[in-house]
Amino acid sequence: MKISYRWLSRHVDLTGLSPQELANDLTLHTAEVEGLHAFAPVLERVVVGHVLERAKHPDADKLSVCRVEVGPAGVAGEALQIVCGAPNVAAGQRVAVALAGTELPGDVKIKKSKIRGVESNGMICSERELGLGDEHNGIWVLPEAATIGRPVLASAPAFGASGIAGALDWVIEIDNKSLTHRPDLWGHRGFAREVHAIRAAALRPLDLELGALAQRARTGQPFDLRVDSPACLRYLALELDGVANGRSPDWLRFLLLAVGQRPIDLLVDLSNFVMLDLGQPNHVFDRRNLPRRSIEVRMARPHERLTTLDGIARDLGPDDLLICSGDAPVALAGVMGGDACKVAPDTSSILLEVASFQPAVVRRTAQRLALRTDASARFEKNLAPTLAGEAVAHFARLLAELQPEVRATSLADAGAWTDPARTLPLRPARVRALLGCEIPDARIEEILTRLGLGVVKRTSGEWDVRIPAIRATKDLTIEQDLVEEIGRIVGYAAIPERPLVAPLTPAPRDERRELVRALQDRLSGTHAFHETLSYSFLPEPLAAQLGVLGDPCVEVVNPVAEGWQRVRRGVATSLLGLLEPNLRHAPVVQLYEVGKGYQPERANAHGEPLELHELALLCAQPRPASGARHDEGALPRAKAIVEDLLRVAGRPVRTWITPHEASAAHGLPATLPPWVHPKRCALACGEQAGVVLASLAELDPRVARALGVASDVAIASLWIDALLTAPRTPVHYEPLPKFPGTRLDVAMSMPAELPAARVEQAIRGAGKELVRRLRLFDLYEGEKAGPGRKSLAYTVELVAEGRTLAEKDTQRFLERLAREAEALGGELRRA
Amino acid sequence: MHEPTQAQPALPELLNDGLARVATARTTDELRALEREFLGKGGVIATLLAAVPSLPAEQRRAAGQGANELKSKLAEALAARERELQEQHLSAELAGASFDPTLPATPPRTGSLHPLTQVTRELEAIFTSMGYAILDGPEVERAYYNFEALNIPADHPAREMHDTFWCDRAGSLVLRTHTSPVQVRAMERLKPPFRAIVPGKVFRQETTDASHEHTFHQMEGLVVGEGITVGHLIGTLKTFLREVFRRDLEVRLRPGYFPFVEPGFELDARCPFCTKGCSVCKQSTWIELCPCGMVHPNVLRAGGIDPERWTGFAFGLGLSRLTMLRYRIDDVRHLLGGDLRFLEQF
Repeated sequence: MKISYRWLSRHVDLTGLSPQELANDLTLHTAEVEGLHAFAPVLERVVVGHVLERAKHPDADKLSVCRVEVGPAGVAGEALQIVCGAPNVAAGQRVAVALAGTELPGDVKIKKSKIRGVESNGMICSERELGLGDEHNGIWVLPEAATIGRPVLASAPAFGASGIAGALDWVIEIDNKSLTHRPDLWGHRGFAREVHAIRAAALRPLDLELGALAQRARTGQPFDLRVDSPACLRYLALELDGVANGRSPDWLRFLLLAVGQRPIDLLVDLSNFVMLDLGQPNHVFDRRNLPRRSIEVRMARPHERLTTLDGIARDLGPDDLLICSGDAPVALAGVMGGDACKVAPDTSSILLEVASFQPAVVRRTAQRLALRTDASARFEKNLAPTLAGEAVAHFARLLAELQPEVRATSLADAGAWTDPARTLPLRPARVRALLGCEIPDARIEEILTRLGLGVVKRTSGEWDVRIPAIRATKDLTIEQDLVEEIGRIVGYAAIPERPLVAPLTPAPRDERRELVRALQDRLSGTHAFHETLSYSFLPEPLAAQLGVLGDPCVEVVNPVAEGWQRVRRGVATSLLGLLEPNLRHAPVVQLYEVGKGYQPERANAHGEPLELHELALLCAQPRPASGARHDEGALPRAKAIVEDLLRVAGRPVRTWITPHEASAAHGLPATLPPWVHPKRCALACGEQAGVVLASLAELDPRVARALGVASDVAIASLWIDALLTAPRTPVHYEPLPKFPGTRLDVAMSMPAELPAARVEQAIRGAGKELVRRLRLFDLYEGEKAGPGRKSLAYTVELVAEGRTLAEKDTQRFLERLAREAEALGGELRRA
Repeated sequence: MHEPTQAQPALPELLNDGLARVATARTTDELRALEREFLGKGGVIATLLAAVPSLPAEQRRAAGQGANELKSKLAEALAARERELQEQHLSAELAGASFDPTLPATPPRTGSLHPLTQVTRELEAIFTSMGYAILDGPEVERAYYNFEALNIPADHPAREMHDTFWCDRAGSLVLRTHTSPVQVRAMERLKPPFRAIVPGKVFRQETTDASHEHTFHQMEGLVVGEGITVGHLIGTLKTFLREVFRRDLEVRLRPGYFPFVEPGFELDARCPFCTKGCSVCKQSTWIELCPCGMVHPNVLRAGGIDPERWTGFAFGLGLSRLTMLRYRIDDVRHLLGGDLRFLEQF
């Protein structure tokens, strides 16, 4: 919504209030100001010229060579020679001249030049060249009263304007979103009321009665009006004859131009003016083209068509409200008029429509047709039906002022509307209590009155506040709304800040947040991982690469882009999407994310999908060289990190199981996500067997190929919800050994398929209580280990409690270990 | 080697000769050789001492003493000279040492916390120190909590302002458009008085560019109590801003429209980066920081709280925006883009 300073001053006395101050006032008390712009500041730089002579250009048919007087003494005492291309330039005219050196809008700098060999010392400007509008049929001809040689702006009164501090007008741009709840602010009159309340500036009375015009109109045979739908609350039809349509006066054109409305002709301009003045849209039909002397308002039939003013044929349906003449649609109610009945330059007899429509109906049609117009935007805000009556009068009076010969021949008014004006109770004490500010009763009353509200004080101390129709449809419905009116007009700067006072009680412990933070710190610190945050959407191409297109997921109905409808089920998929782009820049990628996934197949009674809180981590690196240590790959590295994280989480891993074991022993689902390597994956359990705290996998090679990734990649997920419900393993200190122990290396040749955990179990068993530390330092699975064998080498630290370890302890340990190894189908090789 | 001869040099001569050679030794190896020559097995001293028993009885005592004296003096001189040589060596080493601190060294592998996490943690710390609980809510949210409970009924034009992602045709599930749905969820769970913040991810169906994202982060604040006023809201947010920007910033409240607060405000703060207008504040010297207001009675009612007894305020902080301000990030899409070259910088 654009507010013209000059327009506003038609309604309220702005003396002593600069455009900047006005903008600031509106910002602090009314609505969000998005900008303040000077309209046509160039008029201060171009001067009024007098065309003394026009001659044909010797060398160009469409150009003329003019001698233009630009000052009492001209420049150097002489008239300037200017070449002009406009057809309407003529001797005797007052014109706007940009002298050499003048800058025009659009970064055009006027220079002395030769045009087809003839010297030109400036430019005679059109309105468009001055940034006034898009009128470019010829130069702008100024009224004779314009003073030659003075800046054009100084002559503004001569064309019905008045220059204000450096420009023809100033325009304040208001954020429409901040007016959603204020139907009264969709016209200048509403803003004038605000300024009246904020500044106590005098509000000029506006007579919105039809008066004498109505007298005459009521004698005429009215249009036959039928309102067949509750979507139309009120419909007024005023017939006017004797109109001379044509170019609007400059004052009107420049007000419209200032707020970005293109002037068309008098009837269209007046219609727009009334809308931008009062906020009430209206429509002018050319009487000639209305097929019948009747108007019917009804819902459209399926596939009924109407060509709107913009020349587009619209396919309509039963949700759209139509204005019809007889049965023929002539306008799309509240959105746009029909092309067939629009006014023409020779229109002399019109039907003015001013109506009230249900906001939701107008919005749906505008939205469905993607046809948001100035009219629909206003109807959506819920305009009071009373405003329609005022707008009829406003239009008629403005037209009659310009063309006294215009006659109102009939007026019809139909619709089952009621006046929304109402009374709200207000407790002045509540105003003070909610704002936290001492405002005297008298000040409260003054503010309400200036805003156009009526105050009746009851003996109880409670007031009755009369809300006029224009404020009653939307934002003033409860007492607290009135508190806002008072607060904003008083100004929130007047409210003293106060500290919150409350009992000092700690907020409840937030274990989830503590856990997540500990894990983040560990990963970003110790493990040198980078935290990322991703979109919750799983784009279709990625879903296809990961093989999860068929997985159930929450889908948005209106995705931001094609293929972006899927909401992720977990976090790991998001990380996999980052793999390839990041590997282009770095050989090692270590990323993690803490986030949420949604599983619709496990929704609750309210239909909310199951929410899973997950920490996913991804570890990609070049494939280890052959002969590298057994734990240099991404998978064992990720495993070690997961074990460390679960220890930090207070739920250390007790067992690693395969998905197959999990399914067989604990009934967990046996299916793996397609990106999980079917063999190289595992699940971590804590103290409770069968409760999976984390999942770990190498990237499936087929998915890796689909992603275009050749690196060694491991993915792990920590299930935050499972971790939080799992019992915490307390950390207890282990006493330091008081007596020296011994360290020895053992190498064992074991069956290839035997899990390392069984070997460790054997070593610990052989050592009885003596094994304090155990570390695998080599694993060999090559040919030399023998068929079906692998060789494992451990460093074992033996310590006895309360005594120095004796040689025979070591001997017994090794003997027992040899027996254990044999029992497992292997042998102790070396000690 | 000095063979015992008849013409054995006199002790003082031996001493002088030994001391002179020790004093001129240039390396520890030379010192070792001298040590062997004089003090070693079969060395000069040993030879002298070996000759003592063959001397006349009256000379033996003096000869023995003389040899021992010679031995201790030489040993002392050798040790002294060795210390001296070591000192010299160390000084030479120190004199020759150098270090170029500008020579690049391989940096250790380090990780990082996402900038949004860092800013969120900072804000959480400020609010928890003021006794606020931190709450969480679902991203896939019931339309009821996102709209109806917040005084935004169906057909309310404010719904359009939200550019909602709908998750079903029935319109019962949405991707939450703000963190405000947690307001009524909190009221259902907590008994007033309470104070809470809700950081989280929110969604708007919006075309993205450098300053617009369909997914971003917000932090909701909610305070419900007896006698809570606009003054408390102003005081709270000023305190918060003082902590974040580490200085007093002038603030202003101006009217703002949000259906779930009444009165509703926008809180602006003086631009912390300039005094005369800059690109951050779009030349206005004010930056729009936080929509806020007094909780609408209908919202309190939806949460089962009596609006005549309890009042409250709510505010919404743009975490993505604060993060961008903090690190001068000029393209919002970096935040959720997952590019390591971006993440590594924090």
